[in-house]
Amino acid sequence: MALLNFFSTHRNNFFGWIMGITFGFLMSKAGATTYDFHAKMFLLENLRLMIVIGTSVTVAMVGVFILKRSKVKSIVTGQEVDFVKKPYQKGLVLGALLFGVGWGMTASCPGTIPAMIGEGKVAGLFALAGVIIGTMTYGVLQSYLMMARRYAAAEQEKLDLDAFCQQPPTDKE
Amino acid sequence: MDILVWPAVPAGIALGLFVIFHFWLMGKPAGCSTGYGNFCGMVTSKIEYFRVGEYAKINNSKLWFLLGIPLGGFLSAMTSPEPWTFSFSMGMYDTILPQTLAGKAIWIVFGGILLGFGARLAGACTTGHALVGGAMLNPPSLLAGGVFFFSAFITTQLLFGS
Repeated sequence: MALLNFFSTHRNNFFGWIMGITFGFLMSKAGATTYDFHAKMFLLENLRLMIVIGTSVTVAMVGVFILKRSKVKSIVTGQEVDFVKKPYQKGLVLGALLFGVGWGMTASCPGTIPAMIGEGKVAGLFALAGVIIGTMTYGVLQSYLMMARRYAAAEQEKLDLDAFCQQPPTDKE
Repeated sequence: MDILVWPAVPAGIALGLFVIFHFWLMGKPAGCSTGYGNFCGMVTSKIEYFRVGEYAKINNSKLWFLLGIPLGGFLSAMTSPEPWTFSFSMGMYDTILPQTLAGKAIWIVFGGILLGFGARLAGACTTGHALVGGAMLNPPSLLAGGVFFFSAFITTQLLFGS
Protein backbone atom coordinates (compact mmCIF):
# COMPACT_ATOMS: atom_id res chain seq x y z
CA MET A 1 0.00 0.00 0.00
CA ALA A 2 2.79 2.37 0.94
CA LEU A 3 4.54 1.48 -2.28
CA LEU A 4 1.36 2.09 -4.25
CA ASN A 5 0.98 5.51 -2.61
CA PHE A 6 4.59 6.31 -3.42
CA PHE A 7 4.04 5.41 -7.06
CA SER A 8 0.81 7.37 -7.40
CA THR A 9 2.33 10.52 -5.83
CA HIS A 10 5.25 10.44 -8.17
CA ARG A 11 3.09 9.75 -11.18
CA ASN A 12 0.99 12.77 -10.21
CA ASN A 13 4.10 14.93 -9.86
CA PHE A 14 5.53 13.65 -13.12
CA PHE A 15 2.40 14.57 -15.10
CA GLY A 16 2.25 17.90 -13.27
CA TRP A 17 5.80 18.57 -14.43
CA ILE A 18 4.98 17.62 -18.04
CA MET A 19 1.93 19.92 -17.96
CA GLY A 20 4.12 22.70 -16.54
CA ILE A 21 6.55 22.37 -19.45
CA THR A 22 3.65 22.49 -21.92
CA PHE A 23 2.15 25.51 -20.18
CA GLY A 24 5.44 27.41 -20.18
CA PHE A 25 5.94 26.68 -23.88
CA LEU A 26 2.39 27.77 -24.81
CA MET A 27 2.53 30.96 -22.68
CA SER A 28 5.79 31.86 -24.38
CA LYS A 29 4.46 31.14 -27.88
CA ALA A 30 1.32 33.14 -27.05
CA GLY A 31 3.52 36.18 -26.41
CA ALA A 32 2.68 36.38 -22.69
CA THR A 33 6.37 36.34 -21.81
CA THR A 34 7.20 39.25 -24.14
CA TYR A 35 7.14 42.48 -22.10
CA ASP A 36 6.08 44.78 -24.93
CA PHE A 37 2.86 42.88 -25.60
CA HIS A 38 1.71 43.68 -22.05
CA ALA A 39 2.49 47.39 -22.42
CA LYS A 40 0.87 47.54 -25.84
CA MET A 41 -2.26 45.78 -24.60
CA PHE A 42 -2.79 48.21 -21.72
CA LEU A 43 -1.93 51.19 -23.94
CA LEU A 44 -4.50 49.79 -26.40
CA GLU A 45 -1.92 49.70 -29.21
CA ASN A 46 -1.89 45.93 -29.80
CA LEU A 47 -4.61 43.75 -28.31
CA ARG A 48 -2.86 40.48 -29.12
CA LEU A 49 -2.81 39.18 -25.52
CA MET A 50 -6.46 40.15 -25.10
CA ILE A 51 -7.31 38.06 -28.18
CA VAL A 52 -5.23 35.16 -26.80
CA ILE A 53 -7.01 35.14 -23.45
CA GLY A 54 -10.44 35.73 -25.00
CA THR A 55 -9.98 32.83 -27.43
CA SER A 56 -8.60 30.47 -24.79
CA VAL A 57 -11.36 31.25 -22.28
CA THR A 58 -14.00 30.64 -24.99
CA VAL A 59 -12.43 27.35 -26.12
CA ALA A 60 -11.94 26.19 -22.51
CA MET A 61 -15.52 27.12 -21.63
CA VAL A 62 -16.88 24.79 -24.33
CA GLY A 63 -14.48 22.02 -23.28
CA VAL A 64 -15.34 22.34 -19.59
CA PHE A 65 -19.05 22.17 -20.48
CA ILE A 66 -18.51 18.95 -22.48
CA LEU A 67 -16.26 17.37 -19.81
CA LYS A 68 -18.85 18.18 -17.13
CA ARG A 69 -21.70 16.68 -19.16
CA SER A 70 -19.77 13.48 -19.91
CA LYS A 71 -18.73 13.04 -16.25
CA VAL A 72 -15.27 12.10 -17.45
CA LYS A 73 -12.73 10.49 -15.10
CA SER A 74 -9.26 11.92 -14.57
CA ILE A 75 -6.55 10.02 -16.46
CA VAL A 76 -4.04 10.27 -13.61
CA THR A 77 -6.20 9.76 -10.51
CA GLY A 78 -9.05 7.70 -12.01
CA GLN A 79 -11.51 9.81 -10.04
CA GLU A 80 -14.18 12.09 -11.44
CA VAL A 81 -12.77 15.45 -12.53
CA ASP A 82 -13.11 18.05 -9.80
CA PHE A 83 -14.35 21.35 -11.26
CA VAL A 84 -13.67 23.10 -7.98
CA LYS A 85 -14.18 26.84 -8.18
CA LYS A 86 -12.12 29.37 -6.27
CA PRO A 87 -14.43 30.74 -3.57
CA TYR A 88 -14.99 34.42 -2.83
CA GLN A 89 -12.67 35.36 -0.02
CA LYS A 90 -12.21 38.44 2.11
CA GLY A 91 -9.66 40.72 0.52
CA LEU A 92 -10.26 39.43 -3.01
CA VAL A 93 -10.76 42.90 -4.50
CA LEU A 94 -7.86 44.46 -2.58
CA GLY A 95 -5.64 41.51 -3.52
CA ALA A 96 -6.67 41.80 -7.16
CA LEU A 97 -5.91 45.55 -7.13
CA LEU A 98 -2.42 44.96 -5.69
CA PHE A 99 -1.85 42.14 -8.19
CA GLY A 100 -2.81 44.44 -11.05
CA VAL A 101 -0.32 47.09 -9.92
CA GLY A 102 2.37 44.39 -9.81
CA TRP A 103 1.34 43.23 -13.28
CA GLY A 104 1.56 46.78 -14.65
CA MET A 105 4.94 47.35 -12.98
CA THR A 106 6.64 44.14 -14.14
CA ALA A 107 4.64 43.07 -17.24
CA SER A 108 4.72 39.58 -15.79
CA CYS A 109 2.53 37.32 -13.67
CA PRO A 110 3.25 34.27 -11.49
CA GLY A 111 2.70 31.89 -14.43
CA THR A 112 4.91 33.69 -16.95
CA ILE A 113 7.83 34.50 -14.60
CA PRO A 114 9.30 30.95 -14.59
CA ALA A 115 8.95 30.81 -18.39
CA MET A 116 10.74 34.17 -18.70
CA ILE A 117 13.60 32.77 -16.62
CA GLY A 118 13.80 29.78 -18.97
CA GLU A 119 14.04 32.19 -21.89
CA GLY A 120 17.03 33.89 -20.26
CA LYS A 121 15.23 37.03 -19.06
CA VAL A 122 17.21 38.17 -16.01
CA ALA A 123 14.38 40.42 -14.75
CA GLY A 124 12.42 37.20 -14.24
CA LEU A 125 14.81 36.20 -11.44
CA PHE A 126 14.09 39.43 -9.57
CA ALA A 127 10.36 39.07 -10.17
CA LEU A 128 10.56 35.49 -8.87
CA ALA A 129 12.31 36.70 -5.71
CA GLY A 130 9.53 39.28 -5.27
CA VAL A 131 6.72 36.75 -5.73
CA ILE A 132 8.32 34.43 -3.17
CA ILE A 133 8.75 37.30 -0.67
CA GLY A 134 5.13 38.39 -1.25
CA THR A 135 3.78 34.84 -0.82
CA MET A 136 5.97 34.36 2.27
CA THR A 137 4.65 37.63 3.78
CA TYR A 138 1.07 36.51 3.27
CA GLY A 139 1.84 33.16 4.92
CA VAL A 140 3.47 34.86 7.93
CA LEU A 141 0.44 37.14 8.40
CA GLN A 142 -1.94 34.19 8.08
CA SER A 143 0.12 32.18 10.58
CA TYR A 144 -0.15 35.04 13.11
CA LEU A 145 -3.93 35.15 12.54
CA MET A 146 -4.15 31.38 13.09
CA MET A 147 -2.16 31.77 16.31
CA ALA A 148 -4.39 34.64 17.50
CA ARG A 149 -7.53 32.60 16.76
CA ARG A 150 -6.16 29.64 18.75
CA TYR A 151 -5.28 31.95 21.61
CA ALA A 152 -8.78 33.46 21.61
CA ALA A 153 -10.32 29.98 21.52
CA ALA A 154 -8.15 28.86 24.44
CA GLU A 155 -9.11 31.96 26.41
CA GLN A 156 -12.78 31.28 25.71
CA GLU A 157 -12.36 27.68 26.85
CA LYS A 158 -10.80 28.88 30.08
CA LEU A 159 -13.68 31.28 30.67
CA ASP A 160 -16.20 28.53 29.95
CA LEU A 161 -14.42 26.21 32.35
CA ASP A 162 -14.39 28.91 35.04
CA ALA A 163 -18.12 29.45 34.57
CA PHE A 164 -18.68 25.70 34.73
CA CYS A 165 -16.85 25.46 38.04
CA GLN A 166 -19.03 28.36 39.23
CA GLN A 167 -16.03 30.38 40.12
CA PRO A 168 -16.22 34.02 39.26
CA PRO A 169 -13.64 34.67 36.51
CA THR A 170 -10.59 36.17 38.13
CA ASP A 171 -9.19 37.95 35.11
CA LYS A 172 -10.18 38.84 31.57
CA GLU A 173 -13.67 40.15 31.94
CA MET B 1 16.37 37.96 -27.60
CA ASP B 2 12.96 37.96 -29.22
CA ILE B 3 10.66 34.99 -28.91
CA LEU B 4 9.04 33.88 -32.14
CA VAL B 5 5.34 33.93 -31.28
CA TRP B 6 2.37 32.23 -32.89
CA PRO B 7 -0.57 34.24 -34.28
CA ALA B 8 -2.96 35.20 -31.47
CA VAL B 9 -5.95 33.03 -32.35
CA PRO B 10 -4.09 29.69 -32.76
CA ALA B 11 -2.12 30.46 -29.56
CA GLY B 12 -5.38 31.14 -27.72
CA ILE B 13 -6.95 27.93 -29.04
CA ALA B 14 -3.87 25.96 -27.93
CA LEU B 15 -4.05 27.47 -24.42
CA GLY B 16 -7.79 26.75 -24.25
CA LEU B 17 -7.20 23.13 -25.24
CA PHE B 18 -4.44 23.01 -22.63
CA VAL B 19 -6.89 24.10 -19.89
CA ILE B 20 -9.36 21.39 -20.96
CA PHE B 21 -6.68 18.71 -21.17
CA HIS B 22 -5.32 19.69 -17.75
CA PHE B 23 -8.77 19.05 -16.24
CA TRP B 24 -8.98 15.69 -17.97
CA LEU B 25 -5.45 14.53 -17.17
CA MET B 26 -4.95 15.86 -13.63
CA GLY B 27 -8.59 15.89 -12.53
CA LYS B 28 -8.40 19.45 -11.22
CA PRO B 29 -8.08 23.04 -12.47
CA ALA B 30 -4.70 24.36 -13.62
CA GLY B 31 -3.09 27.02 -11.45
CA CYS B 32 0.24 28.73 -10.95
CA SER B 33 0.41 30.97 -7.91
CA THR B 34 -0.57 28.30 -5.33
CA GLY B 35 2.62 26.40 -6.19
CA TYR B 36 4.68 29.29 -4.76
CA GLY B 37 3.09 28.50 -1.38
CA ASN B 38 4.33 24.92 -1.73
CA PHE B 39 7.78 26.30 -2.44
CA CYS B 40 7.59 28.47 0.71
CA GLY B 41 6.57 25.43 2.77
CA MET B 42 9.51 23.58 1.28
CA VAL B 43 12.19 26.11 2.22
CA THR B 44 10.97 26.69 5.78
CA SER B 45 8.89 24.73 8.25
CA LYS B 46 8.60 27.78 10.54
CA ILE B 47 5.58 29.29 8.78
CA GLU B 48 2.57 27.25 9.88
CA TYR B 49 0.29 28.50 7.08
CA PHE B 50 2.38 26.69 4.45
CA ARG B 51 2.12 23.38 6.32
CA VAL B 52 -1.66 23.06 6.83
CA GLY B 53 -4.86 23.07 4.76
CA GLU B 54 -4.22 23.05 1.01
CA TYR B 55 -0.48 22.98 1.75
CA ALA B 56 -0.65 19.92 4.04
CA LYS B 57 1.11 17.95 1.30
CA ILE B 58 3.90 20.18 0.05
CA ASN B 59 5.53 17.97 -2.55
CA ASN B 60 2.60 17.81 -4.98
CA SER B 61 1.86 18.23 -8.67
CA LYS B 62 1.29 22.02 -8.31
CA LEU B 63 4.89 22.46 -7.24
CA TRP B 64 6.11 20.27 -10.10
CA PHE B 65 3.90 22.18 -12.53
CA LEU B 66 5.73 25.35 -11.51
CA LEU B 67 9.10 23.60 -11.85
CA GLY B 68 8.22 22.55 -15.40
CA ILE B 69 7.41 26.05 -16.69
CA PRO B 70 11.05 27.29 -17.10
CA LEU B 71 11.81 24.30 -19.31
CA GLY B 72 8.81 25.18 -21.47
CA GLY B 73 10.09 28.75 -21.79
CA PHE B 74 13.53 27.43 -22.67
CA LEU B 75 12.11 25.15 -25.39
CA SER B 76 10.19 28.10 -26.80
CA ALA B 77 13.38 30.18 -26.88
CA MET B 78 15.19 27.27 -28.58
CA THR B 79 12.58 27.25 -31.35
CA SER B 80 13.06 30.99 -31.97
CA PRO B 81 15.50 32.17 -34.65
CA GLU B 82 17.72 34.23 -32.32
CA PRO B 83 20.23 32.34 -30.13
CA TRP B 84 19.48 31.94 -26.40
CA THR B 85 21.16 34.61 -24.29
CA PHE B 86 20.82 36.17 -20.86
CA SER B 87 19.27 39.60 -21.14
CA PHE B 88 18.12 42.23 -18.66
CA SER B 89 16.33 44.14 -21.39
CA MET B 90 12.60 44.74 -20.94
CA GLY B 91 11.71 46.36 -24.25
CA MET B 92 9.50 49.46 -23.93
CA TYR B 93 9.77 49.31 -20.15
CA ASP B 94 13.50 50.18 -20.34
CA THR B 95 12.59 53.79 -21.14
CA ILE B 96 10.33 54.32 -18.12
CA LEU B 97 11.89 52.10 -15.44
CA PRO B 98 14.74 53.29 -13.16
CA GLN B 99 17.83 53.72 -15.35
CA THR B 100 20.34 52.09 -12.99
CA LEU B 101 20.52 48.30 -12.87
CA ALA B 102 20.03 48.25 -9.08
CA GLY B 103 17.05 50.58 -9.34
CA LYS B 104 15.48 48.40 -12.02
CA ALA B 105 16.06 45.26 -9.94
CA ILE B 106 14.44 46.83 -6.86
CA TRP B 107 11.49 48.01 -8.96
CA ILE B 108 10.94 44.48 -10.33
CA VAL B 109 11.32 42.85 -6.90
CA PHE B 110 8.76 45.29 -5.49
CA GLY B 111 6.35 44.56 -8.35
CA GLY B 112 6.90 40.85 -7.74
CA ILE B 113 6.00 41.27 -4.06
CA LEU B 114 2.71 42.88 -5.08
CA LEU B 115 2.08 39.97 -7.48
CA GLY B 116 2.81 37.32 -4.85
CA PHE B 117 0.95 38.98 -1.98
CA GLY B 118 -1.95 40.10 -4.17
CA ALA B 119 -2.39 36.65 -5.72
CA ARG B 120 -2.66 35.00 -2.29
CA LEU B 121 -5.04 37.69 -1.01
CA ALA B 122 -7.20 37.28 -4.12
CA GLY B 123 -6.90 33.47 -3.99
CA ALA B 124 -5.36 32.93 -7.44
CA CYS B 125 -3.48 34.66 -10.26
CA THR B 126 -4.25 35.39 -13.90
CA THR B 127 -4.21 31.67 -14.71
CA GLY B 128 -6.42 30.45 -11.85
CA HIS B 129 -8.89 33.34 -11.88
CA ALA B 130 -8.97 34.90 -15.35
CA LEU B 131 -8.18 31.87 -17.53
CA VAL B 132 -9.51 28.78 -15.70
CA GLY B 133 -12.03 30.56 -13.44
CA GLY B 134 -13.29 32.52 -16.43
CA ALA B 135 -13.81 29.29 -18.39
CA MET B 136 -15.92 27.94 -15.50
CA LEU B 137 -17.82 31.26 -15.34
CA ASN B 138 -17.06 31.41 -11.62
CA PRO B 139 -18.38 34.82 -10.38
CA PRO B 140 -15.53 35.53 -7.86
CA SER B 141 -12.99 34.68 -10.58
CA LEU B 142 -14.68 36.97 -13.11
CA LEU B 143 -14.61 39.78 -10.54
CA ALA B 144 -10.94 39.15 -9.70
CA GLY B 145 -10.01 38.87 -13.39
CA GLY B 146 -11.78 42.16 -14.15
CA VAL B 147 -9.97 43.93 -11.29
CA PHE B 148 -6.60 42.45 -12.41
CA PHE B 149 -7.04 43.98 -15.87
CA PHE B 150 -8.48 47.27 -14.61
CA SER B 151 -5.70 47.80 -12.08
CA ALA B 152 -2.93 46.83 -14.51
CA PHE B 153 -4.49 49.09 -17.17
CA ILE B 154 -4.43 52.11 -14.81
CA THR B 155 -0.88 51.30 -13.66
CA THR B 156 0.45 50.99 -17.22
CA GLN B 157 -1.33 54.18 -18.35
CA LEU B 158 0.24 56.06 -15.40
CA LEU B 159 3.70 54.57 -16.05
CA PHE B 160 3.77 55.48 -19.71
CA GLY B 161 2.18 58.85 -18.93
CA SER B 162 -0.42 58.89 -21.67
